[in-house]
Amino acid sequence: MCKCRKSKKSCKCGCKVLKILGKIFAILAAIYAVLFAVFFFDLDGKVIYHVVEPFLCKHYDKMERRNPLDVPYDTTTGVR
Amino acid sequence: MAKFNFKMPEFKKPELKKPLLPKDKDYKKLAHDFWYGKPHGERRLGDLYCDKTGLYKHREWRGVKDTFYYFHMVWLYGYANMVMDINKYGGLPTFLKGVWRYRWLGQTYLTVMHWYDRGFEGLRGEALRACPWHYRGMTNATIYQFMQMLRNDLKTNPDSSKVKARHDKTMAHDETVWGGIFYPFSKELENVPLQMIPYFVTCHVNNHTVLNYIDAIQSIGLPGDPCPMCQAEAGIFVQDDVPDYYKAVITSNEACDGSVATSVIQDWLIDKPLFAMPQPMLFDDPLVQKHCQKEIEDAWKFIEEQTGVPFDWDQLVKKLESQNELQRFEWEKWDVAGKTSYYPINGVSQALYRIYQSQYGDLPIWHFVDKKVSKILNRCVENKINSYPLTRHRVIAWSCAPLYYSNWCTWAYNCWGLNCIINMDSLMFDMTIRTDSYEHTLEDMATYHEWAPMRRMAVGGMHHIFELWENMERFNCDMVMMYDQLQCKGMQGVHGLFEDEFRKRNIHAIWMPHALPDKRTVSRAEIRRIINDYMTTVMHEEPLDPSLLDFDDSMGW
Repeated sequence: MCKCRKSKKSCKCGCKVLKILGKIFAILAAIYAVLFAVFFFDLDGKVIYHVVEPFLCKHYDKMERRNPLDVPYDTTTGVR
Repeated sequence: MAKFNFKMPEFKKPELKKPLLPKDKDYKKLAHDFWYGKPHGERRLGDLYCDKTGLYKHREWRGVKDTFYYFHMVWLYGYANMVMDINKYGGLPTFLKGVWRYRWLGQTYLTVMHWYDRGFEGLRGEALRACPWHYRGMTNATIYQFMQMLRNDLKTNPDSSKVKARHDKTMAHDETVWGGIFYPFSKELENVPLQMIPYFVTCHVNNHTVLNYIDAIQSIGLPGDPCPMCQAEAGIFVQDDVPDYYKAVITSNEACDGSVATSVIQDWLIDKPLFAMPQPMLFDDPLVQKHCQKEIEDAWKFIEEQTGVPFDWDQLVKKLESQNELQRFEWEKWDVAGKTSYYPINGVSQALYRIYQSQYGDLPIWHFVDKKVSKILNRCVENKINSYPLTRHRVIAWSCAPLYYSNWCTWAYNCWGLNCIINMDSLMFDMTIRTDSYEHTLEDMATYHEWAPMRRMAVGGMHHIFELWENMERFNCDMVMMYDQLQCKGMQGVHGLFEDEFRKRNIHAIWMPHALPDKRTVSRAEIRRIINDYMTTVMHEEPLDPSLLDFDDSMGW
């Protein structure tokens, strides 16, 4: 325990810094654990497969595209 | 007063002699397996798959060291570098615009880490360190190319004069035109293959994407029997799914004249200045050498006329010598692969990296990757580290590979101990290019250009396709995986000749039918069944991992 706390004086030493560092470390540890969970349980693959890809494919299927048969057939422009 | 009738419940006396944990579990082994990972043969990798999708219930536990290596240096490193590459080569907004506009980008490249997973199943130790570097190189080169396409794209940036300026200093080309043709202009000019990113690489990463393009070309009347590579390449134009990033285009006849059916369609839909540079079929004929050299010089004139960028001999020499360095390291790798058991690169990493690097041309990432792999390779040779200790057969893969199942060799080693040492496409471009004089350089460049992917062995005469026998000796292989592209008329024509030679030479050869990018003709499960049948009925062997014999990945990437 910090000396300042023992003597019940106001904390002027690095306790605050340590507290902040502790919080940062805890947040980083939590992020690391979450990333490891995503990695280990293949959650990135599952989200992309079940959510992202179907959503994007629906969008691509609905997109308006030019009709290639409307493009005039002319192979002589600048061909060597 | 009523009597209160209360009976104490009967408590079973605890059997203190019975242990809290079951006795029949080998905890020492469990702890060992947790720390080091299960040995090959006990892993049951097939149990990790989710039915049909090929996703994992959980990623492989490879032991503490290798699992955390994979997590940090493959998965986290891979994602972080992809984001950095996208920012470096054009920025996230450009990328997101491209994802929204182009199917091949959004449907394929977001799934890229799973492509890594499929290629590296079962890997440990030095192999787990060496193989991902190859994939890292390919990922960087892919991002580099599609970001060039997107940031020079007039379809998504129609009113930008900056984009127009870059667009006019970019050349497009067929993916089988060697990138080295553009070396003399590379200080000021960009060159990006038309189909490598929207077609070729997508087949390996997510085999669903290409099916849309094959169906598109057939929907306008092309019959289904030409090579599906050419069909898909034309299909991306039918779908209007190619960015408008280039001023002019240089084409070839792809791997063979199978592309004739589709190149007219591509030219029609590209509708831009085009220079055709078809490679000759019988490239050994001395009469065609002068013709090819003249064609390269005419291509250079075409580039100068279209873009205004002048030919730079010093730049050409610099890039060729840089490329020669890559070839010399590749020869070192082949030496180790052929003469020792210490080669750490698995079949899929070897095949894909080599074809990508040698066909696209020189890039800084290839040198970066080769430096990393060189250190690992030297360590394996010095310490005699065998990364594939359960190798039962050393396999050489010949002919055109199934793009939708390029990681078959990873499965084959895990299931049967078949170690794919080398493949035909790796052995193309088996040359350095002289830079001592313009004439020598042009001669060698013409030869290199003629040796386009698949073409080097598959056309040019029977003596080329029969280089299989000398390469079996060179790489000490005792088995052949004979790729059998069902829609390749060229290779179908020599099928019988190979059968005769295999019989005559008493060689174990497994024919692997496939339709190049199209998984619907021969599924991955069918390919596995064919190999399983051969290994049980002909070789009389038991699988190393029975859980990999039969599983459903029909909807997988």
